Amino acid sequence: MSSDDNRATSSASAELATGIETDTPEGEPLVRVENLKKYFWENDSLLDRLLGDEPVAVQAVDGVSFEIREGETLGLVGESGCGKSTTGETLLRLQEPTDGRVEFAGTNVYEMEGSDLTAFRREAQVVFQDPFSSLDPRMTIGDIVQQPLDIHDVGADEERRERVRNLLERVGLSVDQLDRYPHEFSGGQRQRIGIARALALEPEFLVLDEPTSALDVSVQAQVLNLLEDLQAEFDLTYLLISHDLSVIRHICDRVAVMYLGEIVEIGPVEELFEDPKHPYTKALLESVPRATTDERERDRETLAGDVPSPRDPPSGCRFRTRCPMVIPPEELDIDQETYRELMTVRERIESRDISLETVGDDDQFSVEDGSVPEADIPAFVAALKRRLFDEPLPPHHDEIVETALTELAASNWEDAAAILRTEYESVCERDHPGLGNNTHSVACHLYGTAADSDSAVDPNSWRG
Amino acid sequence: MTDTDDILRVNDLSTRFFTEQGQVNAVDELELRIERGEVFGIVGESGSGKSVTARSVIDLIDAPGEIVDGEIWFDDAELAERVREDAPDAVDGSFVDLLSVSSAVRQSLRGTSFSMIFQDPESSFNPSLTVGEQLAEAVEVQRRASANPRSTKAKTDSAEYSFGNLLLSTVLPSQQFVTEESRERAIELLELVGIPDPVERADEYPHEYSGGMLQRAMIAQALAGEPDVLIADEPTTALDVTIQAQILDLLDDLQTETGMTILLITHNLGVVARMCDRVGVMYAGEIVERGTLEDVFDDHVHPYTEGLLGSIPELGGANGQLEPIGGNVPSLLDHEMEDRCHFADRCPMAMEDCLDHPPEFDAAGSEDHTVRCVLATQSYTEREALPPNYFGDAERPAGEKHAEPAHSDGEQPAERTRTTISDSGGESR
Repeated sequence: MSSDDNRATSSASAELATGIETDTPEGEPLVRVENLKKYFWENDSLLDRLLGDEPVAVQAVDGVSFEIREGETLGLVGESGCGKSTTGETLLRLQEPTDGRVEFAGTNVYEMEGSDLTAFRREAQVVFQDPFSSLDPRMTIGDIVQQPLDIHDVGADEERRERVRNLLERVGLSVDQLDRYPHEFSGGQRQRIGIARALALEPEFLVLDEPTSALDVSVQAQVLNLLEDLQAEFDLTYLLISHDLSVIRHICDRVAVMYLGEIVEIGPVEELFEDPKHPYTKALLESVPRATTDERERDRETLAGDVPSPRDPPSGCRFRTRCPMVIPPEELDIDQETYRELMTVRERIESRDISLETVGDDDQFSVEDGSVPEADIPAFVAALKRRLFDEPLPPHHDEIVETALTELAASNWEDAAAILRTEYESVCERDHPGLGNNTHSVACHLYGTAADSDSAVDPNSWRG
Repeated sequence: MTDTDDILRVNDLSTRFFTEQGQVNAVDELELRIERGEVFGIVGESGSGKSVTARSVIDLIDAPGEIVDGEIWFDDAELAERVREDAPDAVDGSFVDLLSVSSAVRQSLRGTSFSMIFQDPESSFNPSLTVGEQLAEAVEVQRRASANPRSTKAKTDSAEYSFGNLLLSTVLPSQQFVTEESRERAIELLELVGIPDPVERADEYPHEYSGGMLQRAMIAQALAGEPDVLIADEPTTALDVTIQAQILDLLDDLQTETGMTILLITHNLGVVARMCDRVGVMYAGEIVERGTLEDVFDDHVHPYTEGLLGSIPELGGANGQLEPIGGNVPSLLDHEMEDRCHFADRCPMAMEDCLDHPPEFDAAGSEDHTVRCVLATQSYTEREALPPNYFGDAERPAGEKHAEPAHSDGEQPAERTRTTISDSGGESR
C-alpha cells in the first residue's frame, strides 16, 4: 500500500520507553525549528555519477525557522510544491534533514536515539491527507487503532481494547464498527479512524497534513469541529498543514505562509488575515473565491505565471518573478506595471525562453547560425518587441529595450541580458530578504529596515 | 416552446448505473433550463450526481450507466431543419430532442455545439503527443465535421487524407490529421487562452506544462469547435488558488467574448459565487434548490443549502464553531432509497410531511427560485417534527450484520455507516 502507511507504523519503533518530560518551562516552545533544510537529490544514482552528471538539488525546504508553543495551533499554508508537507515530515524525522535543527521539548530530535526516540514517536503523531491510502485495507479498524498500542506495548490486552473502544467513540464512530474494514467507511469516517490512531498513544503534538482536503465541505466541517474539541480536551498542540486558507483561518492561532521552500510571512492569524504584509500573502488571500453574492463585484489582483522550479529557485527574493510589487532601482523613473513587464521579459531572456525563429510572419526573417541578416535587424527588433510587450514603452525604456533586442538578433543572449541587468537590476534579486523575529514577521524588502534606502515603493501604495 | 432565451431544456432526465450492488439512481427525474449566454452552476457534494448530469447532457455516459428516461431539448434551428425529415417527433420549433435523434447526430454536436473540460488536465492529455498536435487534431476534426456535416464518408475521401498519408501516419503518428491550417488555428487558440509564446509551447509535451497551463490548453481544445455550450466539470479543483483565480478569470473573459453558455459543475461554493448567474444545488440525484445566485446564497429555504453554506469556514472572520450537516452523503442504490425527501435523515428540521417525496415548490425571491422542500409552504413546528432517532439504525443497509439493534444509551452515532458508492457512480473519471 502507500508509503504513508508504512511510515506511520514504522515511525513507532518497537521498543518500550519512558515518556519524554514534556512539561516545558513557562514560555518555552514545545517545538522549535531552526533553519531546517531538506533537499532531494536528482541524478544521484551510481550510473549518473559514472556518466559524470552533477546531482541536482530540489530545494524542497530551504531554511525554515519557527516555533510552536504548547497548546497552540500553527498553520502552514502554501500552494502545492512549496514544501509544507516536507516540513511536517522532516520535523517529525520521517525524513532525515539536510541541515538544521528541530527541538522537541528542548531536545534535538535528530540526535535522539533508542528510548528517547521511541518516546518522541509516542509524543508526536501525524494524521495524513488521504484517508483512503493511509489505512491498511487488510486490517480491521479495531486493529488499526490498536496497532500503536501493540507496538509500544502499552497496557494489557484488555486495557488496549478498552482504550480502542473509547477512542473510536470519542472520534464519533460506534463501537460495533470495530470489526469492519476501512473500505466499508466513507472518507470522513476514515479520517476519524486516522485521528483515533494518532491519538492512541496520548501524544502531545500532532502534525495534521491536509486532514480535510479529501473531504466534502459538510464532512470537512465535522472533522474540523472534532479536531477543535479534541485539542481542548487533551491539550494537544497542532501543526496544521493546508492549502485551504479558510480552514487555516478557522482553526489556527498563528500562521506561517510558505513559498518555494521558505516562510515569507508568519504571524497571529487575525493579524495576518486582516492585514497581510507580503505581496504573496495578499495575492493568496485575494485569489480565494468567497461564497457570497458580492463575489463577482469584488476587486481581485491575481498573480500571473507559475511557481518557479525548486531545482533552480530565483536569486534574492524567491517571489520576485511573480511579484506585482517588485522594487525598481531607486533612481529609475518607471511605473510599477511597466517595470513588472520589463522584469518578466528580462527573466525570459535570461532563461533563453524566446524562440527567435518564429519572430514575424511566416518565415519573414531567415535566422542563419542564430543571426538575422544586417538589413533585417530593425524590422526584426520591432516585430520581437511587439510580441513581447502589449503596450508601447515610454521612450527612454524603449531605447534600452531596443538595444537589448538588437543583441538578440545575433543571438547574443548574455549581452542582451547584461544590458537589461545594468539598467533594471532590482534589490529583490540582489538580496535575500530576511524574516524578522517579531510576532508578525515578513520576508520582503518593502518592509526591510537595513535595505530601506533601496525601497522605492511605499508599501501602502498597493492596496491589500 | 416559444421562449427563445433558452438554449437547453432538460426534462425528466434519469440516468442510472446498473452495478453489481444494484441499480444506482445517479440522476433522478432532473429538470434543467439553461438560458443562452448564461453561466449556470450545479453545486453539490461528491456522489450527488452533478457530474453525471453534465455527462448525460453531452452523452458521455458509459456502461454500466444508461440514460433511461428524459428529454434534452437543444435550441438549434439549423439542426432542427436537418433532422426534421428523419425524426419529426424529435423537433419542436427550433428545439431538437437530443435523446430522440440518432447517436450519429448526437455525436456530430460534440465539439461544435457542446464541448467539455474536465477536472484533471494531466490525465486528459495524451502524454506522447505535443499539446499543439492534440489541439490541431481537435481543430481538424471540427473543421472536417463542419465541412461535411452529414457525411462521414466524404471525410475519408479528401485528398489530404490519402492512403499515402495514412501510411505515413503509421510511421509518424504525429503526422496524423494535422494540417498546416489546423496547426495555425491551434496556436491561435493557445494564444486566446493566454498561454505566453504559443508558437513555442505548441511543440511541447504535456509534461512540460504546469497544471494551470495545461488547464488553459484543455480550455483551448474545448473551444476548437466554437461550441454553443461549454460544460466545465470541476475545472479548477486540481489547481492551486492563485492558478484557480487565473482560470476563472479566463473563463469569464472567454464567456464575455464569445457569448457562449457555460454549465459549470463544482463543489466549491466560492467558485459558484464568482462565476454563475443561476445555480442549482444537487443532492442525491435531484436539484433540491435552484434560482439566481441571490436566491440560493441569501434567501435559501432548503436546510441542505443552509447546511452547505454553514459548513464553509469564513475567510473574513472566525465564525465560531462550524455548523456541519450530520451524517454522510446518502447511498443512491435504488433499493436503499425510499420515497421520501432524501435529505430527511440528515435534516435538522425533518417533519412528518418529509416522508412524502416533495415536489418543487416556488419560493420567495426571483421567478426562478424553486425548492424541493416542504418548508417552502409551511413553517417548521415542533409538533410535527420527527423524533430525533426516527431514521436511526433501521436505516442501515442490510449488508451490515454487525449493527446492533439500538444505541440504548440514547446517543445517536454521529455518522451512520453505509457502503460508499463513489467508485460506482458519480465521480468516475
